[in-house]
Amino acid sequence: MNILEIDSLTMRFGGLLALADVSFNTVKGEILGLIGPNGAGKSTMFNCISGVLKPTGGDMFFETSGRKMRINGYKPEKMTYFGVARTFQNVRLFTALTVLDNVRIGRHCRTKANFFGAVFRTRSQKEEEQKIVDDSMNWLKFVGLEKYVFYTAGGLSYGFQRKLEIARSLATEPSLLLLDEPAAGMNPKETRDLVDLIHRISDLGITVILIEHDMKLVMSICKRLVVLDHGVKIAQGGPREIRQNPKVVEAYLGRGAADA
Amino acid sequence: MFEQQLINGLTLGMIYALIAVGYTMVYGVIQLINFAHGEIFMLSAFLAVTFITVFGLPIYVVIFMTMGCCALIGVMLDIFAYRPLRQSPRLAALITAIGMSIFLQNLAMIIWGSRPRPFVQEALPAFLRTPALSFGEATVSWLQLTIFGTASLLMIILFLIINKTRVGTAMRALSQNRTGAALMGINVNRVISFTFALGSSMGAVAGIMVAIYYNTLYPTMGYVAGVKAFAAAVLGGIGSVPGAMIGGIILGIAEALGAGYISSLYRDGIAYAVMIAVIIFRPSGILGKSTVEKV
Amino acid sequence: MNISLKTALKYLLLGAVLLYPLFAFSSEYVLHVMVLIMVYMVLAMGLNIVPGFCGLLDLGYVGFYGIGAYTAGLLTIHFGLSFWVIIPLAALNGAIWGVLLGAPTLRLTGDYFAIVTFGFSELVVLFLTNEIWLTRGPLGLPGIDPVIIDLTWLSTLIHPEWIWYWEFIGLRPYFYLGLIMVALVYVIMSRMEDSRLGRAWFAIREDSIAASSCGVNLLTYKVIGFAISAAIGAVGGAFLARWTMFLSPDMFKFWESFLILCMVVLGGLGNFKGSLAGAAVLIALGEILRIVLPQLGLPTETRFLAYGLIMVLMMRFKPMGFFPAIATQSQKNPILIKLKKELGSSS
Repeated sequence: MNILEIDSLTMRFGGLLALADVSFNTVKGEILGLIGPNGAGKSTMFNCISGVLKPTGGDMFFETSGRKMRINGYKPEKMTYFGVARTFQNVRLFTALTVLDNVRIGRHCRTKANFFGAVFRTRSQKEEEQKIVDDSMNWLKFVGLEKYVFYTAGGLSYGFQRKLEIARSLATEPSLLLLDEPAAGMNPKETRDLVDLIHRISDLGITVILIEHDMKLVMSICKRLVVLDHGVKIAQGGPREIRQNPKVVEAYLGRGAADA
Repeated sequence: MFEQQLINGLTLGMIYALIAVGYTMVYGVIQLINFAHGEIFMLSAFLAVTFITVFGLPIYVVIFMTMGCCALIGVMLDIFAYRPLRQSPRLAALITAIGMSIFLQNLAMIIWGSRPRPFVQEALPAFLRTPALSFGEATVSWLQLTIFGTASLLMIILFLIINKTRVGTAMRALSQNRTGAALMGINVNRVISFTFALGSSMGAVAGIMVAIYYNTLYPTMGYVAGVKAFAAAVLGGIGSVPGAMIGGIILGIAEALGAGYISSLYRDGIAYAVMIAVIIFRPSGILGKSTVEKV
Repeated sequence: MNISLKTALKYLLLGAVLLYPLFAFSSEYVLHVMVLIMVYMVLAMGLNIVPGFCGLLDLGYVGFYGIGAYTAGLLTIHFGLSFWVIIPLAALNGAIWGVLLGAPTLRLTGDYFAIVTFGFSELVVLFLTNEIWLTRGPLGLPGIDPVIIDLTWLSTLIHPEWIWYWEFIGLRPYFYLGLIMVALVYVIMSRMEDSRLGRAWFAIREDSIAASSCGVNLLTYKVIGFAISAAIGAVGGAFLARWTMFLSPDMFKFWESFLILCMVVLGGLGNFKGSLAGAAVLIALGEILRIVLPQLGLPTETRFLAYGLIMVLMMRFKPMGFFPAIATQSQKNPILIKLKKELGSSS
């Protein structure tokens, strides 16, 4: 059962072809690795899936509330509503707000109090606010930031900022989570925690697509990998297959390395 | 009637274009609407009159002196007001620009008073007010012809500077990618200063020409002209120098025809309405490119 | 008694301000300035939503102030509507124009938005000046009725000879009415700030791409913010109309927008409590300069030199204002107080 189907997706920026005819599927519940050298088009792929960019060709299908639908051209907020959440390559937090507020904003698309609720403090609004705080606290505990609830997000260490971003995206109740280089800039201890965290996310039944440069990490947690190079899919399969694929080795190490 | 409006509009449009290039060049290199640019335009008119009345210099010398002074003011504006805020949010720089605009306007009011005053007619060659050409009922005065010629000449010089010189190449590089340009060894701050100097000296010429054309100057003249020139820059596509020229001319003609045929009371309103319409329906303007924010 | 000296002083000061109009020595001039300050407090709080909460520069706030004022003035003169009916109508009219202007332009970058709002407010002034059939143009709109509380329908019901009818004469009633208005807007602002709505605005201000990936519809929330801000501006205008009983297009020139923006900047972007202080300080400063400048032989308009300088210096040295808003924001929310207690006891 596929949660996401990418069918000959193409993204062109003027003369630059960032993604050319890329197709792959994501099975519900799996942790899929999306790898490739710098400039391969991995982040572009995330931007297309999450609605930040509108692909110039091809189709994307996503299963939301039991229904398969074409998702080309939906806005990011709509994709979040459908159940796609993401983190960013260079962490994008609301730095001047507190840790709690960051996660509370993540609850935005699953709550509905409006201007009148806010001004008149209706009963339903109060109950919803309490629930938002409770839910947010649960996610903060889940990633291990419950001690920093009232800290300013910008003041956290880099590793914690990454975790907070994950908590914020989980708060949107996604069925598919896109993690863009979550281990970048983390020390070995933090990376081990991250691996554990990704497994626990997967245990919740959330499908994960992971962009990562740390090959050891990717190979250890992903059962399946898709490899991009210069916007083209050059391989897909299990970690062992990928490691031995001459095209992949060439893409990473240059021509000739595969023979050596 | 129509031909005359067209000629008046074209003259006005050339002046708007001269101011508009200042906005558009600065926007190109630092993505800031330099609201104080209109004030530099106003200061140039006052400086020119002061040079003529106080020092008794001839108009030809005064024009160059004013250009130099305004270029200096533009550079100082950048160094003292905008440069410290390069890393700040854009809102901070924008508010500073508004603050500087109000500051300079009131400084002029303190120095020269708030009453409108006429330009020093004696300093001008008499032939300027005589008709140069006439076809049908429409006439073109020597003054209009001079404005047209000067503005065209300056535009050509500007075009050559931007496209044929090293500093022009650096300016274009900066508007593409500031970090990249800095990595290529371009002295970013110096290029930005040069951009301010170039834009301000163009605005200076426009200021003198407007003061002569309408025979009046007052401290708030930069505010209306500045917004209209900005509208021209938006119309042509902000960041695009040829766009600013085209935008200025179109806006000048639209304003003259609109004032003549629709309602003269809404003369200034036409520029605002055109600007709002362009921003709503084609925010990239005539020649501008739409850009996507990088994630 | 465990009230600290600071809170005691605060309440003492508040009490003094509240009772000031009742003292025999209270001067008309000081009262006038105080009512003026209250009008600007409302405007500054309302404007703060756009640049402070959403991070967008609004240079045409005075346009909505003018729309509210003329809505109130014209409805009073032509239809004799009561102030209490006019206030919501003015707010509604402001909000409608906010949506009409905001919906097509708020999808663009902030710079364009700034210049659109500026153009809009200039068009409002041109309209008020030139559409003489409606607004009497530069002559202004005199003869607007003062605020009236008319409860005769109720009183005659109770007792046929009772007449509950009060017309606001002089400054004292307006002082208290203004105070109520400031208090109401203050409560609305603080409740919006600490809600799903306020958090969505802050998210947009901090990082709009991240905000949309959290499910915040950028355009919708910017338009809501702009419309609410416009409505508050219009309420300020409606109050002004019934207080001064005279309107003219000159009262709504760009300078006013700038002055209100300066109050917001001085009090701190995103800190509506600071806007109260900003309004008080700048109106007071304006009154002082109005007296001092002519003695120096300068026109009174040059006081804007000081305002311009304040804005430049604030952005350079204190971009978030004098009072950091972040810490105080959630202190009064009972849910968070409870949470803090729980966290404190567990660790």
